Amino acid sequence: MDKTILKVVDVWKSYDDLEVLKGISFELAEKEVKVIFGPSGSGKSTLLRCINMLTPPDKGEIYLSGQNLMAPEVNLNAIRSKIGIVFQHFNLFAHLKAIDNVSIGLRRVKGLTKEEARVKALDMLDQVKMKNWAEHYPAQLSGGQQQRVGIARALAMEPNLILFDEPTSALDPELIGEVLQIMLKIARAGTTMVVVTHEMGFARAVASEMIFLDQGVIVERGTPNHFFQSPKSERVKYFLRQIDILYGSHEALLKEPNEEEIK
Amino acid sequence: MTLMLTLFGLLIGFTLGLILALMRVYGAKEVGWLASGYEKLFRGIPLLILIFIFTFGIPSLFWYLEPLERPIAGVVLALGLRSGAYQSQIFRGAILSVNPGQMEAGRALGMSGIQSFRHVVFPQALRLAIPGWSNEYAVVIKDSSFAYAVGIIEMTKAALRISANFPELWALSMGLVAILYFIFTYPVTKLFGERQTKKLKDLGMGGG
Amino acid sequence: MIFQSIPKELDELLRVLAFWDHILVGLGKTMWLYAWALLIGFFLGLLLALSRQYGGRIISRIATGYVEIIRGTPLLAQLFLFYFLPFSINSFLDDRGLPFIPIGRWSFYVSTTMFGRTMTMVLLDHLTLIGILTLGLNSAAYQAEYLRGAVMSVSTGQLEAAQSLGMSRRRGILHVVLPQALRRVIPSWSNEAAYLPKYTVLVFYIGVTEIFAQAHYIISETFLTLTVYIVVAVIFLILISLISKVLDVIYKRMAIPGL
Repeated sequence: MDKTILKVVDVWKSYDDLEVLKGISFELAEKEVKVIFGPSGSGKSTLLRCINMLTPPDKGEIYLSGQNLMAPEVNLNAIRSKIGIVFQHFNLFAHLKAIDNVSIGLRRVKGLTKEEARVKALDMLDQVKMKNWAEHYPAQLSGGQQQRVGIARALAMEPNLILFDEPTSALDPELIGEVLQIMLKIARAGTTMVVVTHEMGFARAVASEMIFLDQGVIVERGTPNHFFQSPKSERVKYFLRQIDILYGSHEALLKEPNEEEIK
Repeated sequence: MTLMLTLFGLLIGFTLGLILALMRVYGAKEVGWLASGYEKLFRGIPLLILIFIFTFGIPSLFWYLEPLERPIAGVVLALGLRSGAYQSQIFRGAILSVNPGQMEAGRALGMSGIQSFRHVVFPQALRLAIPGWSNEYAVVIKDSSFAYAVGIIEMTKAALRISANFPELWALSMGLVAILYFIFTYPVTKLFGERQTKKLKDLGMGGG
Repeated sequence: MIFQSIPKELDELLRVLAFWDHILVGLGKTMWLYAWALLIGFFLGLLLALSRQYGGRIISRIATGYVEIIRGTPLLAQLFLFYFLPFSINSFLDDRGLPFIPIGRWSFYVSTTMFGRTMTMVLLDHLTLIGILTLGLNSAAYQAEYLRGAVMSVSTGQLEAAQSLGMSRRRGILHVVLPQALRRVIPSWSNEAAYLPKYTVLVFYIGVTEIFAQAHYIISETFLTLTVYIVVAVIFLILISLISKVLDVIYKRMAIPGL
């Protein structure tokens, strides 16, 4: 039976006067991979930060394995240790070596001993193929390497689910592949993931559902097949064509868009 | 008196600082070395000692002045020399912060090095220097209180005199003087310090 | 004769240096004052910086107010203020028949005899205490600025990542932000640390016998004003250069690539 790991119910969030999220709802079952995509400013990052309560929503509810995260008596620190997050700009702890980046959560939050944490951290680094770089500092690593360490750091905590906030957007093109490979690997191994990304290849490979977010509202949702074969909304069609152009499809570039399609 | 000391001290410092900064940025290696040595010297000696050296250590220095005026000159000289060392840092930082492309553009237009500096780099450097200056102004005006030690009646000494004659009033007089110093420093540093830095950033003028 | 060929300046210098025991005691006192002021300044400054950055509205306003006021007023004025303060408190208490703070009668000192001269240095007495406290409180305000700059320079993503792992804000600040901030602050902090000794001379004016006081004594004995001041100036130059060098070495040792 599928356990529902995450339930987002009618979440609203504004910054000052700007409404960023307007009534978002969706569910995530165990081992599912959901891909959220959409134009910039659509609230994707905000949504992720609402889920792990870094910036709690103004209205609505979030349930993690049945537990209501908005309830006042909830220990947010404990909750956050069960939700992993991989950041667009890596956010590796600059003063710690790779191995310590992965083990610090285990030691300080989960209370493992130094030895236990080190063993586990090395194992995690091995899984993301960074074992040989364990003693390096983040500044000595390429973007792709740093992000893989970031994934290891999230994995080490054995979270219920992992959030990915545009993990490859800040990477040079040739480095994107190595990170996506790792993400594919853990997706296939059964990790529950919510991924905000433009990488359609990844979505096509492992997403169970894709959600198109625009200006704080879910415009369309469906399986990858649905999106790539017969998207319904015009906004989605336009966006997908922009992605095509981004990745070098020159036919899409040459085709003149109609006036209505841009709306 | 406080203001007068501050003003003259800053003026001397300004001229000196500019010359030294130019020496360090555009001068030959030895010239820069000299300027750097000057800076180290006058930053490393306590201002009070400096004041005493010029006021009491070399009594014949200001022979052309009245005896009563000599301490003032001594203080101003000390303040000026010290301020010159610090202002040299400020100017140097400001000049170096100006996008090097500016100098190149100036010369590309046909201006000589000196012209480029005067018309292109210098005005920009001046604006960039403003936050550092507001800080230096605050420092000099506070350091002017050291002048009390050589008998000059500036704010701090005035307060001490009052409390010597009316001991109960010490809190009031000292507190008042402190508030006065604060009034002279805080608005200036706030106005020309942080706000200026922000404005510069908005203009994209290289916040060094 | 040999003695006739010694230049006047050298002779003056030697006569001043004959008071080496006084100079040593003065220097020791100066460094004692400096060390305590620096320490107090650092910890208080750190507290202030963290309060300004992470404290609630009230706490950060208080911290900011403290820093701005101390930085906006001269050290000398602050010294006098604190000097007079206990007297006022005492007369206030005395009027009401309450016991008052003991002033001026107590002192802790160390004494040693070297090369036939006995040297005594007061470690702590009423005036030294006031001097140290004021210097420390003053330095704290300036150090707070440097520390605050360093804390701000650590990107917010670092704290976000720490919290996302499940660390509370406090632990995140302690284990992630602070280690980075402290390493980043070293260049500017070294500046303050190296130049702080200069300000200790001011405590002479509330009666503490540090090197400047000793200078006055030597002048009264030899009348060689200029020479004495120059000797003191040189001592400070050497002291400050040494401190700078040491801090430089420490910084290089602690460097982490990319910080």
